[in-house]
Amino acid sequence: MALSLINILIFPGFLFLSTLALAFEYVDRKLCARMQNRVGPPWYQPIADFIKLMSKETVIPTEANPSIFKSIPIFALAATASAFLYIPIWGQRSLYPFDCDLLVVLYFLTVPTLTFFLAGWFSSSLYAEIGSIRAMTQLFAYEVPLYMALLGPALLAGSWSISAITAFYHQNPLLSLLNLPGLCVAIIAAQGKLERAPFDIPDAETEIVGGTFTEYSGRYLGLFRMAVDSEMVALAALISAIFFPALLPANPVLGLLVFLIKVLVVVFILAVIKTAFARFRIDQMVTFCWKILAPVSLLQIVIDIIAKGVILS
Amino acid sequence: MLFDKAIHWARLKSPWIIHFNSGACNACDIEILAALTPKYDVERFGIQLKGSPRHADVLVCSGPVTMQQRERLITIYEQMAEPKFVIAVGTCACSAGVFNGCYCVEGGVDTAIPVNAYVPGCPVKPEAVIDGVVKLLKSIE
Repeated sequence: MALSLINILIFPGFLFLSTLALAFEYVDRKLCARMQNRVGPPWYQPIADFIKLMSKETVIPTEANPSIFKSIPIFALAATASAFLYIPIWGQRSLYPFDCDLLVVLYFLTVPTLTFFLAGWFSSSLYAEIGSIRAMTQLFAYEVPLYMALLGPALLAGSWSISAITAFYHQNPLLSLLNLPGLCVAIIAAQGKLERAPFDIPDAETEIVGGTFTEYSGRYLGLFRMAVDSEMVALAALISAIFFPALLPANPVLGLLVFLIKVLVVVFILAVIKTAFARFRIDQMVTFCWKILAPVSLLQIVIDIIAKGVILS
Repeated sequence: MLFDKAIHWARLKSPWIIHFNSGACNACDIEILAALTPKYDVERFGIQLKGSPRHADVLVCSGPVTMQQRERLITIYEQMAEPKFVIAVGTCACSAGVFNGCYCVEGGVDTAIPVNAYVPGCPVKPEAVIDGVVKLLKSIE
């Protein structure tokens, strides 16, 4: 009981995830700055931002529903923190593995997007409503390719459990080369899920002020930023667990180190994409996702089914 | 006390700004935007440009306050969350400059809202804008 509480609250749960989230926000911003030929923020920048937002006054619009307005950021953070518990972060096994935990993690990672929609909708501001509708439109575009890209590797491994998938690819590392199209799709869709450039359409600052978070200030904005950062860590961890199965040492400390390096690689790729592209229009984004990402992820499933028939039988 | 110190430190290290044109001729606005480009890289000091007044700590105001913009300026100021600071950028924002006494001009930014720091110049240089923000932060200390 006490051990599970420590697991949930401190390691590898909430506190560890928050620290990682702040650290990787710094890494992301620094990488982005270096690629733009800038110096970039100092290492304590995300911490300073978080403390400042926590200590600022919180304005709640009179039109908004106060209880929903206040509780939504907590839901967003809770969903990502719960998702992180089921992702293996050292070795091949997550803390509490069960059958179908891949689906549970994916659903948990969809909850933040839904909370962004609700946050914008219930703050009763025009810009926030436009932002939330864009967030919802985007959800329908990237969610299907992302799910199908993760479905392929699961089909080949013959299990819905992340730990089992990781163990399978650890035994057959060469088979994970078949999942390269899925990896590309997953990384691009993750960029949409995290609402970063080129898919930062829901919070396009030059068009719709602050997007879904226009009315959010102080503490609740800080919680939302934390939720987005921890969603980035959770998604990167999920992608690295499923697509980068090699090098899983039995020693937990070494395993944690390898895990951090893998997440760093994914965050690096995400930062390169963020720096290299400008924002798309919403219709371009939806067209791109359905005409290119969805067929590629279908191709991934076909490849995996053929491989399952030919190689494994 | 450690808590208060941490909050104070965080406020100094993370000033998010919002830019508002209260009737400027656009020269100061372009210089403010130039100060935000990678060449000057204000993210070194934690400064970020925010779109929504709810997110920002520092209101960077340029231009004399015209009668039309006055109410909007006050609305934007009131929408910001405490603690909030105002910087008047450019001679016009400081004192209305050559527009002082014009039929449509109320005066400098301080005739509408309280101002914490003044940065004169016509137009101001990007270095002066950054210097103004740094001096504002020192005055908060």
